[in-house]
Amino acid sequence: MTGLTSSLGQDKTGAVWRGAPHPVLVVDAAGVIAQANDVALRLLPAAAPGASLADAAPAWLSQAHDQALTAGAAHPANGTRPAGGTPPANGTRPDGVVRGPVGEATFEARPARDGDLVAWWLSDVTDLERATRALRVERERTAFLDTASSELLSSLNLDRCMEVTARLAARHLADAALVILPPHRRRHPIAYCGPDGVVVREELAVDPETVPGLAEALQGYPPLPSRWIDPAAAPGWLARDGLGAVGSMVVSALPGHGVPAGALVLLRGGGQSCFSDGEEVIARLFAARAGAAMSAARLYAEQAGITETLMRELLPPRVRSLEGVELAARYRPSEHTARVGGDFYDLHPSAEPGQESLVVLGDVAGKGLEAAVLTGKIRHTLQALLPLADDHQRVLELLNGVLLKSGERTRFVTLVLASIRRAGGRVRLRLTSAGHAPPLIVRGDGRVEAASTRGTLIGMLERVTSVTDTVTLEPGETCLLFTDGITEAMGGPLGDEMFGEERLLEDLRQCGGMPPEAIAERVEMLASQWVGGGDHDDMAVIAITAPRGAHLSAVGGLGRGRFTA
Amino acid sequence: MTAFVPDPLTLALATLHPGALRVAVDGDLDFTTAEDLLTTAVAALDGGRLTDLHLDCGGLRICDSSGLAALLMIHRHATAAGTRLHLERRPPVLERMLHVSGTYEHLTGAPAAASRHSSTQD
Repeated sequence: MTGLTSSLGQDKTGAVWRGAPHPVLVVDAAGVIAQANDVALRLLPAAAPGASLADAAPAWLSQAHDQALTAGAAHPANGTRPAGGTPPANGTRPDGVVRGPVGEATFEARPARDGDLVAWWLSDVTDLERATRALRVERERTAFLDTASSELLSSLNLDRCMEVTARLAARHLADAALVILPPHRRRHPIAYCGPDGVVVREELAVDPETVPGLAEALQGYPPLPSRWIDPAAAPGWLARDGLGAVGSMVVSALPGHGVPAGALVLLRGGGQSCFSDGEEVIARLFAARAGAAMSAARLYAEQAGITETLMRELLPPRVRSLEGVELAARYRPSEHTARVGGDFYDLHPSAEPGQESLVVLGDVAGKGLEAAVLTGKIRHTLQALLPLADDHQRVLELLNGVLLKSGERTRFVTLVLASIRRAGGRVRLRLTSAGHAPPLIVRGDGRVEAASTRGTLIGMLERVTSVTDTVTLEPGETCLLFTDGITEAMGGPLGDEMFGEERLLEDLRQCGGMPPEAIAERVEMLASQWVGGGDHDDMAVIAITAPRGAHLSAVGGLGRGRFTA
Repeated sequence: MTAFVPDPLTLALATLHPGALRVAVDGDLDFTTAEDLLTTAVAALDGGRLTDLHLDCGGLRICDSSGLAALLMIHRHATAAGTRLHLERRPPVLERMLHVSGTYEHLTGAPAAASRHSSTQD
């Protein structure tokens, strides 16, 4: 390089800046390069003095030069974008500094104005740019995964999880996304979200084999790298209107708990490059979160379904009266689904008028599915033994035999059999308790007595014994059957005290003459209040009341009067 | 209201004399702990080398139906192994449970109140 002339300096200073480590170009108002130092010439070989900046340098730099001149100053005092001319794609900062590519690298150019000349100092910011971009991308991804996790985990509903997954994927990872579940009755549940952000839910009989990698993903195999696919090879249900031709696609398994929850297909429109490695990693991380959420939602739905089925099966019947006897029952299952299946009751109306009806209240030891299954078995057995119900001991022996033969002998059931017959205005009860707390009789004057019955629990011992008590209820008097969920309810001031039989008796003394609904509701409410917010076992209460009829003397319902019943 | 936190169950084993073992049961015998007692007691039976297994229930605070089921199973295993089971220092809560469940005589060997009917399963 020789003979540079410049208003910027003499040879001495010129020599200094020619050897400067940063490329420097001095350009005049006409866009002609006046000077260029050694590094600048190495970077832009055509940038010899006399050459036009527009020819010798990338467009972003010559545009910035024009702008710097148009702005009238390289440092606009008001900091606004210079008027006139389109801003360069890279955007000009208020101080006139611009960025742009030179070959593979990225350079930052700073203008220094001297009269009609602008000296452009260039510095290589490729690494900085890359690091900044990587950081921004990383932050965006972290934020995205964070959002995705909280959105996905906010719902235990599988449909909603599918929709959220499709929507987030289409918004952040691709142009369109499909969530495809394993087939249900030969159809795959699918959620599709296109570029418009609208999620479409459908069930399609599609063949996963027609999409490269989809069948494997639905089996839970690791995802294939994205690939260019022949747009013609993408079936219509995958590449939909609004997306154009499919450019690239990623198929990811949505990993569930031990079983694949489904597959995620990400699609990009035509002309778009393949997914980068980083993008595929983020897609995989997202898929892992979505899969976990969807599989949790599915397991929850299954569990809820099973529980609901069992509860429906186990739920006691709703009957208000039985052969002229007033009845009320309250049943409050434990909130723990794992503890479903403890208490049960059944009402068996008499086959013939005037014969005994049977009420059974029971409690199966242990919780969960096994207990629920055992409960079902006990109820069916008792139903079959109904013709023998006039001999409670015999019924208990036969039930015990059935359970001993069929079970592991690790669970037992306690129950109360109550055979009920209306006798004029009174009700006659035969009560047998098998390992269960004896029923309580609430007399009209508020006295409370425990029935004199006891017996062996059923299902664990070879030999069962029982004592049956016969009780007569005068009109308005009640016999209360209850399970230990009431008396053993844990609560009180410190939460470590049982409700207990004494409290129950004390309260029932206030209930003389009350209708059965009021008594049953009151007992359940008291036990629930005692528990407060704590855990409780199943609670069941049955109140059997001799009807008052229309009491004509109307003296508090007590005493003997004439009854219309 | 404070949530009720059940006591854990602690079991302390002591050999009284050759062939006699005492298991001191402390805390709550319930749905969550019954399995521990059963496992420990059945292992202690040692396939019939014990003549007597003493369960010291002095420290028992709560016994629910799962606890009772465990006691009944221990009794069954002990009988099968030819070992006598002794439920000692029974607290009122356990006494009441044995009476209500009709297992008092079966588990303690002491007669409960007389019953009107009884029969044996064949």
